[in-house]
Amino acid sequence: MPPPAGGVARGSGRSFGLASRYPLVPITILMIVLVIPSFFADLIAPHDPYAASVPNRLEPPVFAGGTWEFPLGTDRLGRDILSRTIHGAKYALSISLVGIFLGTILGTAVGLAAGYFRGWTDRIVMRVVDVSFALPSILLALALAAAFGSSFEGVIFVVVFVLWSYFARQVRGEVLSLRERDFVARARVAGAGHGRIIFRHILPNVMNTVIVLATLQIGVVIILEASLSFLGIGIPRPTPAWGLLVADGRALVVSAWWVSLIPGLAILLTVLSVNLFGDWLRDRLDPKLRQR
Amino acid sequence: MAHHALNLSARLAGSTAIGVMALALLTAASDAAAVERVTIVMDPSAAQTNRAWATGGAFDLDAVYQRLIGNDPETGEYDSSGLAESWEANEDFTTWIFRLKPEAEWHNDWGPVTSADVAHSYEIQTGPDTLATGVASLRGGTAEIIDDHTISFHFDEPKMDFDFANAGRGSMYIYSKAQFDAEGVEGYDNEPAGTGHFRFVEREPGRVLLETVQDHWSGTTPDFNELELRFTLEPATKLAMLLSGEADISVIPRELLGDATGSGMEVVTSEQPSKQVVVMPDGLYMKEGDPAFNPGLPWTDVRIREAMNRALNRDEIVEALYDGEAEPLVRYGMHETHEGYVPELAERFEAEYGFDPERATQLLEEAGYPDAFEEPVIPIVSTVSPGSPEYPTMAELIQVYFDSVGFQTEIIEMDWASLGALGRGREAYVIHPVQNAPIRPSNVALTNTFLEEGSTYHGYEDDALTAIVEKMAATIDPKAREDLMREAFTYAFENYTDMPMVSLHHPVAVNPEAIVTWQYPGVTSNGLSHWHLIDTVE
Amino acid sequence: MSKFFLVRFSEAIVALWAITVIVFALTHLSGSPVDALLPDDATPEQAQMLIEEWGLDRPLLVQYFTFLGNVLQGDFGDSLKWRGQTAMGVVLDHLPATLQLGSFAVLIGVVVAVPLGVLAAARKNSAIDTSANVLALLGQSIPNFWLGIILVWLFGVTLGWLPTSGRGGFSHMILPAIAMSWFQIAALTRLTRSAMLDVLDAEYIKLARIKGLGERAVVWKHALRNAAIVPLTYFGVLAGSILTGSVVIETVFAWPGIGWLAIEAIRGRDYPVVQSVVVVFAVIYILANLLVDLLYAYVDPRIRR
Repeated sequence: MPPPAGGVARGSGRSFGLASRYPLVPITILMIVLVIPSFFADLIAPHDPYAASVPNRLEPPVFAGGTWEFPLGTDRLGRDILSRTIHGAKYALSISLVGIFLGTILGTAVGLAAGYFRGWTDRIVMRVVDVSFALPSILLALALAAAFGSSFEGVIFVVVFVLWSYFARQVRGEVLSLRERDFVARARVAGAGHGRIIFRHILPNVMNTVIVLATLQIGVVIILEASLSFLGIGIPRPTPAWGLLVADGRALVVSAWWVSLIPGLAILLTVLSVNLFGDWLRDRLDPKLRQR
Repeated sequence: MAHHALNLSARLAGSTAIGVMALALLTAASDAAAVERVTIVMDPSAAQTNRAWATGGAFDLDAVYQRLIGNDPETGEYDSSGLAESWEANEDFTTWIFRLKPEAEWHNDWGPVTSADVAHSYEIQTGPDTLATGVASLRGGTAEIIDDHTISFHFDEPKMDFDFANAGRGSMYIYSKAQFDAEGVEGYDNEPAGTGHFRFVEREPGRVLLETVQDHWSGTTPDFNELELRFTLEPATKLAMLLSGEADISVIPRELLGDATGSGMEVVTSEQPSKQVVVMPDGLYMKEGDPAFNPGLPWTDVRIREAMNRALNRDEIVEALYDGEAEPLVRYGMHETHEGYVPELAERFEAEYGFDPERATQLLEEAGYPDAFEEPVIPIVSTVSPGSPEYPTMAELIQVYFDSVGFQTEIIEMDWASLGALGRGREAYVIHPVQNAPIRPSNVALTNTFLEEGSTYHGYEDDALTAIVEKMAATIDPKAREDLMREAFTYAFENYTDMPMVSLHHPVAVNPEAIVTWQYPGVTSNGLSHWHLIDTVE
Repeated sequence: MSKFFLVRFSEAIVALWAITVIVFALTHLSGSPVDALLPDDATPEQAQMLIEEWGLDRPLLVQYFTFLGNVLQGDFGDSLKWRGQTAMGVVLDHLPATLQLGSFAVLIGVVVAVPLGVLAAARKNSAIDTSANVLALLGQSIPNFWLGIILVWLFGVTLGWLPTSGRGGFSHMILPAIAMSWFQIAALTRLTRSAMLDVLDAEYIKLARIKGLGERAVVWKHALRNAAIVPLTYFGVLAGSILTGSVVIETVFAWPGIGWLAIEAIRGRDYPVVQSVVVVFAVIYILANLLVDLLYAYVDPRIRR
């Protein structure tokens, strides 16, 4: 399981050239591969993603000798790969959004508290963060799945578990330096309470970092979902989640390569574009990230 | 945190890291020299240990140890290729006598095989901590050593399947008492001595190496020097090992056999079917007054169970899940060459179980589905069981069929152990696949499947069937017994106790440049046996 | 310094203890070893005998304190699945394979990523920079099991250059190590690059340039020496992720390490082995981070508060 793009974001302030010069490329790819399919899957997909047709099983894509009936081929049960991949975008997007949203809120809140109050709060929070980093998330996921069965909620839980500590650590670091700044001191002198200082003065200043980091986690989450599916503890069948599609087709990588390749390409394009977009976003929102 | 550049610390940390890596590189062992070795790659055993009784399915040392009773390589029937040259039971099956082959010898000079070895093996393998399969069929007896090569077992009750428990699927390997007395159980851990055609050389994580016993006491010696077992779960990797020449024999899922033959490999199959697969509507604890009975389950109604069967297009199932390489199954536990076979059921199958979605829908209406049931949604379990990679796809396909005739369904992902826990807790209110591997004798299959004290993976219990099966189990007269078996199979058939899927042979892919053929009957839990019959290219 | 070390050390012990509590609770929640280890045709009596034999019918709290008492004496119990071996023994049998593969993967990561990151920084916005970026991002965009399988087929079967799987000679390590380090290369390249960009802006580098040092010496000697601390701090995270990455990679490449062992132990509900694996994971992770912290404290006294 990949770790959060932690080391990457930590201090890797400057984006590479490609992203800032062509921010439209990743956005366009994201729209085509992720966003539009997510919202209009029913309109775009040529087939029902769950409709099996055994006589048509393992048909190759049209460019490899197949027919236009199933442009990107079919899987073991004769389900249309294109339609399943299109519908899969919904799950990629919803797992990422829900998981990152929850993980970010939890991590940010904890990080704010630790960085702002310091002392024992900080000490305890950081030890909990340590524990959470030192617990292998894959093993946690396996044990949870064994206990409760695998489910959408289970995957979200693992995503939140992996992300929160990372956000807590990042935000805490940021807050530690922010709270020493003049504007915080001024607010305190003016009689502002803790709540007001935190939400009015400190939070807005870490918001940009949080947004940038959150964007960069989309790729991490999609890859994580794939790893969980590989271990058989991801999104349950027959949901056409991308990770599950790749994991499920991996044994057929030689004879029916399209079964895993097509959803794999969707993952590749999405993660690549999200990261390029994240780089670009970082330059726009948080050019000082590296100079903390 | 500010990063201050300090050369010293950077260098320090750098050299530490490089030191660790250099060490790692040094520990990498060099390749062993190529020898005349047959390498088989397969799924890992239940656990890598030389103590076979401590696993639910150990087959890594199946080529090292032997059992009392052997199996014919072609028919799978019991024969004297094991350690016993003959055996018999008394009239009421309470005493079994085995006469051992005097010429049988232990590896590593532990001497000839005697009755003391058998008594010792019986004792260690039926202890309270044993995990062994079918141990219930072994337990409860007293071993009596009559002479060096004759041993008898006495039971309080008739033990009709004691021969089964001592043959291929049984768990009773014969271990050396001499070695145990000299070295304790650690001797088995370190350098286990067996009596088979192959001698243990070494075990490493993921790999076991055996060597051929030259001039084996049985008179036959394999035509290669070493047998290497390698354990891998990932199907694509197992196929890759075969195609790259790293393995000579690969146990791969059926759907990859085509890839193997397409690349010049060949397929060798067990002589006999090695397992039956059914989908079980579990949790039917319908005996009078059973607190675990759940009337809210739609499949408590026999019409629903018929509808489930009618919804399945079995031709497509064979095509989609088994690449067309499977035979239809009429009745779980029933097998042509075993006792109690009812040929009429095969004739009735098409009319009573055949694919008929309209009839299925009509049956649902008659049963008042879904309104008449508290829990109308059918939970279909998707699980992974060793040796059955097709189960998840099977769950998806069944869902498709069920949905199309009007069932409401959901797929539940559950590992095999959790499913067993549900059954043990008597709350397995789910539909799931299960297998009979190898195909057990009919009496074992029936008690296993339909009695409360049987396997936790089965859950059809009602008073009538329980009475028939219990009576059968207590009947000694072969004719009466067989009649009761027929009655039980017919009753189960008519009550749609499950959804029969397929009967399967056990195929492996082999490299024809190394392997000519391999004859094995398919009588063990992983289907493989008769390792000495692997015939290599001269 | 010693007080700082003492505090960090005791915190690490508390963290370890917390981890054992969590893992104990989780594994016991996940089901009984009886269901996982018994064969399908086991009878209820057989299950009951084992439950009593293994003490699984005792209250959870009693089981926990028995476990804790044993651990304090350095005993993690006997494996339930790999009978005849201690739980820690099973883990230590498999640990060298993982350490070997993991350190080789780190080595590949460093050897590829650091020069790539330096080059990308030195020639900012050049073709090298762009390709380093794409390479780095590609690493993060492919599920590693899939990459692993493709590597097996390409180099193991189609080209036949390298063994497909298993542990053996040096050649056996190459493919799994690449599959494992691919993600790290991405992270490390980006990290090195940005650290280098920071350093290249610094006054003393400008000074060095003014003094007429060659560009190559400036970049590879002065700048890299100072920027290297940043990727090195990433070592702690790396250690953790290599271990978790091993779970997937070892399955694909049939590499008999503790990643593979961990999955088997959890599936078998082998509580003692699961505990041991997690404790070993955690100790390695904590040690790696302690090392990084100590180095830091040594470097930067302000952290020792």
